[in-house]
Amino acid sequence: MKIDQDTCIACKKCIPVCPVNAILFEKSEKIVFIDDEQCVECGVCYRIGVCPTDSFMEDELVWPRSIRAGLSNPLLVDPRTRIPGRGTEEMKTNDITGRFKPGYLGIAVEMGRPGTGASFVDIEKVAQAIAKHGVAFCPENPVTFLMTDKRTGKINPEVMNERVLSGIIEFELPVEKADAVLKEIIKVSDEIDTVFSLDVISYVGDEEEPPMLEIMRQAGISPSPNGKNNMGLGRPEYAF
Amino acid sequence: MTHTLHRLGNTENLSDDYVVFAMSAKGFNEDGSAAPMLKFLEICLEFDPINMGDMKTGNILKTNKEDIYNNIQDVSIVHAVYKDEATVAALLKQVKEADLGISVVVSGLLNKVKEMGESAGLKQHTVNCSGGVWGDMDKLPSQEVLQVTTMCGHGMVASNLVDYYATRIRKGRITADEAAKKLGEPCVCGVFNTERAAKLLQAMADHGSDGHMMQAGLTMTAEDL
Repeated sequence: MKIDQDTCIACKKCIPVCPVNAILFEKSEKIVFIDDEQCVECGVCYRIGVCPTDSFMEDELVWPRSIRAGLSNPLLVDPRTRIPGRGTEEMKTNDITGRFKPGYLGIAVEMGRPGTGASFVDIEKVAQAIAKHGVAFCPENPVTFLMTDKRTGKINPEVMNERVLSGIIEFELPVEKADAVLKEIIKVSDEIDTVFSLDVISYVGDEEEPPMLEIMRQAGISPSPNGKNNMGLGRPEYAF
Repeated sequence: MTHTLHRLGNTENLSDDYVVFAMSAKGFNEDGSAAPMLKFLEICLEFDPINMGDMKTGNILKTNKEDIYNNIQDVSIVHAVYKDEATVAALLKQVKEADLGISVVVSGLLNKVKEMGESAGLKQHTVNCSGGVWGDMDKLPSQEVLQVTTMCGHGMVASNLVDYYATRIRKGRITADEAAKKLGEPCVCGVFNTERAAKLLQAMADHGSDGHMMQAGLTMTAEDL
């Protein structure tokens, strides 16, 4: 994203709109500009119509900077998963796909969320810590697509200087491995220069309480009182 | 995409925050899903949502219900926000009777959603639970700001903007309802609960938060607000 300095009147109305504080005001020159390093190309400043002189200009992004928009602009559809947002269906359609099975958990580590953004250095650090436990990274996921080695969690070096609003490291694992992996995730959280939000998914089946709740408590994680509930209204195309 | 998870709050202020949405499964029932999606949208509209939207078109704060309806596609994801359990339970019952065959997700307090499902003859199939936020917590704004911003899971509602509007409410330059609607505009999916946001913003204004924006050292001044 760029600001056309020929038309910008430096009214500063756009400054609070940026989720990652990438719109700055230079006092000495009295100009408003975008910090290219901090900008994650989410496009909200352009879309929201805050500028009275329409001075925001969308750059034609080329690789690897284009990954910023891919994992930050919710209107972009990942061409491989064909899903908007950050490109993953996770448990929303599990009543149809049967992806998350009894005896397994899904875990997602949403790097940079809420609202902080993350570098691929940190995304790789967490992915590699998790990979040591031999988990299966979700194949239909934009961060997994960037892994050059899915056994180690190694990310394509070409994107290492890029930042995104949020990249989701997503994987499945047998419940027996969950305690060790959740504790590993807590441990690596002390080593990163950002935040992440943690998701834990399980099939409920005939259980009275979703099975992951006790697993989370055992690992020292307090489950939030709210969450997402697939209500089982889809027509199943699986058998287990 | 877990855009309706991680809505921060407590059980009291989350008790009026439920998001219902539907989507097709890629490679399974995507083809032809626009028709059941339209029916789902019609049912949602019957129950008068606080906010709603489809990422293909936008939310009702920036566009309108007719445009959303007329642009429903096989890849649409229709979202609607409600504030009470009885409404969601009645909506679920109607969606079940319509037998649409597409996946329907309800985000909200887990125990309450379980009860709503049971009253509609449904059981949770799969649950995604938030395990909270980890890492360098010093990078985050205040909890009261996060309670507002996390209602857009794609992170399109900036924390500085929340402070900006809280300050303007305190100065009497905008009402909490108006500010909540302005804040909801960037949330293209329409999952931002404007009624809950208005309450949270009013509380921020009432106790006089000076705002994260100032603390962050950004170059807005009181005169700019």
